[in-house]
Amino acid sequence: MAADAPAPAAPGGGTGRERNDGLWLTVIWLVLSIAGCLVVYFVWGPHLPPGGMSDSAASQQFDNRILGTVATPVVIGVLLYFGWALAFWRQKPGDETDAAPIHGNTRIAATWITVTAAIVLGLAVFGTYELIAPAGAGGGEGPQPIWKPNSSTILQVQVIGQQWAFTYRYPQFGGFETTQLELPAGQPVAFNVTSLDVIHDFWAIDLGVKADANPGVNNVAYTTPRHTGTFTVRCDELCGLWHGAMFDYGKVVSPAAFQAWARTTETRLASMTAALPPYSLTYDPTQISTLGKVPAELGLTGAGGGYYNPADPEQP
Amino acid sequence: MPDITAPGSGEAATRATEEAAFYHEAALNASWTGTRLAIGGMSFLFGAFAFAYFYLQSQNSDAKWLPAGSPTPHAWWGVTIMALVVVSAIVQTVGLQQLKAGRKGPWMQAAVVALLLGVAAVGLQIAELLNLPFQPAQSGFASVFTGFWPVALVIWLAAMIWLEILIMWARGIPAISFVEQPPTYTETFGVQRFQATLSAFTTVWNYLAIITFIFWLLFYVR
Amino acid sequence: MAIETQPESAQTPGGREPGPMPRQRPWWLRPAFHTAIIGAVIGYVFGHWLGNFIASGYQQGAKAGTNDFAIILGYVFGVIGWLAGLGVFNELFMQMTGRRVARSDEGLVGDLARYFRYSLDHKVVGIQYLVGMLVYFFTGGLFAMAIRTELLSPTYHVLSANAYLMVVGEHGTMMMMMMTSVIVGPLGNYLVPLMIGAKRVAFPRLEALSFWLTPCAYIILLSSVLFGGFPTGWTGYAPLSIQAGEGMDGYAVAFAIMGFSVILAGFNLICTIICYRAPGMRWSRLPMFVWAMLTTSFLFVLAVPVLIGGLYMLITDRTAQTAFYVNQLGGSNYLYEDLFWFFGHPEVYILALPGFGIVSEIIPVFTRKPLFGYKVAAAGMFGVAILSFFVWQHHLFDSGINPDMRPLFMLTTELISIPTGFIYLVAMGTFWKAKLRLTTPMLFAMGMYVNFLFGGISGVFLSDVPADVTAHGSFFVMAHFHYTIMGGLIFAFFGAVYYWLPKMMGIRLNQTLGKIHFWTMFIAFNSTFMPLFAVGELGQPRRVFEYARSLQTLNDWVSISAFCLGGSLLIFVFNFVMSTVVWRERETGNPWQARGLEWQVPSPPPPHNFERIPVVLAGPYEYGDPSALPVADLNPPAGVIAGALVGAGTESRSSAGTEA
Repeated sequence: MAADAPAPAAPGGGTGRERNDGLWLTVIWLVLSIAGCLVVYFVWGPHLPPGGMSDSAASQQFDNRILGTVATPVVIGVLLYFGWALAFWRQKPGDETDAAPIHGNTRIAATWITVTAAIVLGLAVFGTYELIAPAGAGGGEGPQPIWKPNSSTILQVQVIGQQWAFTYRYPQFGGFETTQLELPAGQPVAFNVTSLDVIHDFWAIDLGVKADANPGVNNVAYTTPRHTGTFTVRCDELCGLWHGAMFDYGKVVSPAAFQAWARTTETRLASMTAALPPYSLTYDPTQISTLGKVPAELGLTGAGGGYYNPADPEQP
Repeated sequence: MPDITAPGSGEAATRATEEAAFYHEAALNASWTGTRLAIGGMSFLFGAFAFAYFYLQSQNSDAKWLPAGSPTPHAWWGVTIMALVVVSAIVQTVGLQQLKAGRKGPWMQAAVVALLLGVAAVGLQIAELLNLPFQPAQSGFASVFTGFWPVALVIWLAAMIWLEILIMWARGIPAISFVEQPPTYTETFGVQRFQATLSAFTTVWNYLAIITFIFWLLFYVR
Repeated sequence: MAIETQPESAQTPGGREPGPMPRQRPWWLRPAFHTAIIGAVIGYVFGHWLGNFIASGYQQGAKAGTNDFAIILGYVFGVIGWLAGLGVFNELFMQMTGRRVARSDEGLVGDLARYFRYSLDHKVVGIQYLVGMLVYFFTGGLFAMAIRTELLSPTYHVLSANAYLMVVGEHGTMMMMMMTSVIVGPLGNYLVPLMIGAKRVAFPRLEALSFWLTPCAYIILLSSVLFGGFPTGWTGYAPLSIQAGEGMDGYAVAFAIMGFSVILAGFNLICTIICYRAPGMRWSRLPMFVWAMLTTSFLFVLAVPVLIGGLYMLITDRTAQTAFYVNQLGGSNYLYEDLFWFFGHPEVYILALPGFGIVSEIIPVFTRKPLFGYKVAAAGMFGVAILSFFVWQHHLFDSGINPDMRPLFMLTTELISIPTGFIYLVAMGTFWKAKLRLTTPMLFAMGMYVNFLFGGISGVFLSDVPADVTAHGSFFVMAHFHYTIMGGLIFAFFGAVYYWLPKMMGIRLNQTLGKIHFWTMFIAFNSTFMPLFAVGELGQPRRVFEYARSLQTLNDWVSISAFCLGGSLLIFVFNFVMSTVVWRERETGNPWQARGLEWQVPSPPPPHNFERIPVVLAGPYEYGDPSALPVADLNPPAGVIAGALVGAGTESRSSAGTEA
């Protein structure tokens, strides 16, 4: 949508001592827009979500700043115009006549289309650049990501969505599985997001990472945490009864602290890891591991929704 | 409408005739437009199934699109059903040429044959679905197969009911009306309405035959 | 579907000969609402028995303690029984047995009872739709109140987890189903023939059928509450929807029936608009509302079949045990997402275009100026409609489907804001140095422009893939589409109700109450949904019943505003009921001094709309132009129509289906 209030050259413009609406509107709009843009970009911009905890979050914040700045003149223009109309272009009491007819104006229409098209195409180019340059900007990129961080030491973290929790596996540390998510600051991370049952969505809010967890699909998202702290993880795709309560907290720690935590956890969970299915990019819940058979025998399976096992000849 | 004969005379009669002719023309046009529109809508419905077919084939989740050695539908069922539908459409279209040439009888016979063939296709399709050599969830292919043909047969059945209505309708129209213009405009309009509806049916049924052929290629020839 | 493409045989000369008048039976034997209910009950019982009979050999049904077969077939046969009870199939059977179908003017004139029958009068259908859609709207609104009550506290729960999801799903689905036809149903059916100068619609049976399917969809959707509701929200994503209990069946069947209903409504409207325009009603004189109905109807007929296909596959997955959406068995949950959103995105514009049409229709009247850039407006609508088929994957930016296609879909999505911007160009041009009359409809129209502005601007944030990473699936999206749908479509709808109710019922709604309704609704609406943009960006996903403590203040603010919004709608209910039942302030003329063709006939319109086929002489927006002709000649001299017909006739003979 274009940012221009009607050009001063609008037809039927003021004659002589009449108020020149076009000029007034343009001047007020320009003043308000410049002030608004400055406020949005410099005052509000640095505080916009999702913050600057990782490079993807920072790039999203930058996008929000730019888009907010571009949107400001449009919003101001339209609101100003309708406000002006309310204030000055009202029917005078007792005046039942019609207003001067204007059926259209090719020049204004052409200008409008050109300006909106230019803004829109500019935004599309900007968005594409902002998607590709920061390695997918934290969004899920499917099983074969094409925009990757330029680094040879990417920490692989597998995110397994299941009803109703996320668990995390660290393949570079023996593939242990834990409910705690810890990441080192400064190192690129690849989240390999998958699911065991229905669609979940891994949303690390402050890291600016979001990727759907689809059963049988590995969905990769990249980010690089910048500084230490905690962040919230929520499930962002409706996944059943306890979707609303499916959240946990992750930590970004210093590289040394991360190494220590990972080594300790790997050792502590070694016996557990041996009972897990071997690390893979996706898991088939109908292939139940030794460990998983206990709840299955108790009838506690959420996975697959009671769908019958195709290998079972008893079934229709 | 040069030869409209108004019942009675005077301005009121002229107006009534004029209005009748106007909405008669509109109805004929609506029949034509509606046919094309219905074909458009049905194309999107069938397109959803074709998309499912190609999408699942390309995804081949868990290598279960159509694993080697898994049972496939018997070829002769497919050929028979497809042939019945296609022949039914052809017979009806050929019969229509007779009607256009002013011969009602041959069209009636062709239409009855087309109706029987179409109903036979519906019946055979139900029989095939009750005797499938695979389970619906055995593969992605099996799912699309089991899902698609019930939709096709319901639409065939609807088309056959339509054809049956046309046949019953035609019984009430004297054969001479197809040769020369009937004496009153009411009858003329009635015949034209019948012709427009039959034309719409022919278009739809031929379209369905083409769709059947395409999906036969997908499911049986691959 | 094919069977119903027969055009209506005319009631008067032009079709087959009218048969004898049917014997008038006592009212309890004539098909109406009560026989429909009896038919539905019988149908449901039969279908349920049949499903149990078919599936008795299926161990799955026995093991789970549920039988989706029985429930689905119960619903389907219940609908068939309902329609049979209404007498929908009577004429079909008569035609099949070769009897002539008797035509009569019954339903064109008469008492209240005709509103409970399968009436073929488009004006009756319009009123039926209006009441029906208001029932839908207020039911969905009550569910919204329940949602906001639950969200008053992040930890204390009024509703159980299951009840909350049930309420969310019912709210979303009911509102989506209702918004799809809230304009096309009541206003499209009622007004389009009047606006194009037609005495009838092309396919009145399809039109009536499209209405009578909506009560079925309503009851079936609500009935899923009895089975514990459905946990998927209105999107019904597989495989959660396959995992879900029997309540899911109600969702799938109800949504598919509603889809079928809007396809029929759109089909009828397209044929009516193309073929039944009065002489002189050229494409360049078509009111903008009719353009909006035309583009919306095309979206109905082309996009909704895909939804029906997707829901059908869901139903077979749940009953016949196919595996369209089950990954481990060769299906793919992406298939559902693709099919759903291939429908779902045109659906979004189905919810926007009618609103554009209404406001474009209202503003020339109350600015007392011609519509600025008529062709631009029409082109904008077509541009939106066509582009809407090419943007659906922007709902799936983070899903992992075709990630390399995201720049393309980002581009197409942002391109759509160009034709949407045309609507604003047209509005601003029309307002230029106008003589505004701030009536209630005009206030709602202006409110629509303001609200839709925020909806559109937030849409640009969502179309930008990096910004969407945070906004996707959060309350930001929720606020965005409530701004476009409720702020856009519903504001336009209320404007239309205030504007056209004098036409439809011959009764004027109280203007003072109307203005109070507007201002309370406008303020409460913005106060409800504006903070939700922030709530979403700060990390609250949709459809959750627990959220961060730090967001409680904002959520409480929103909840209280939402209750005020509900209260403002009660003002409307009060106004509507009192104005139409108690005060009954008659308004038979042209209260707004509008040029529209529909205002040139008395209100409410006579049984056949126009005494004679009008001849349209000028466009509907020629305000302030002293040289403009009156919009139509309502009483053209005899012979003019026949003259027009010669041209039309030759044209139709070359193009239309008289080749048989």
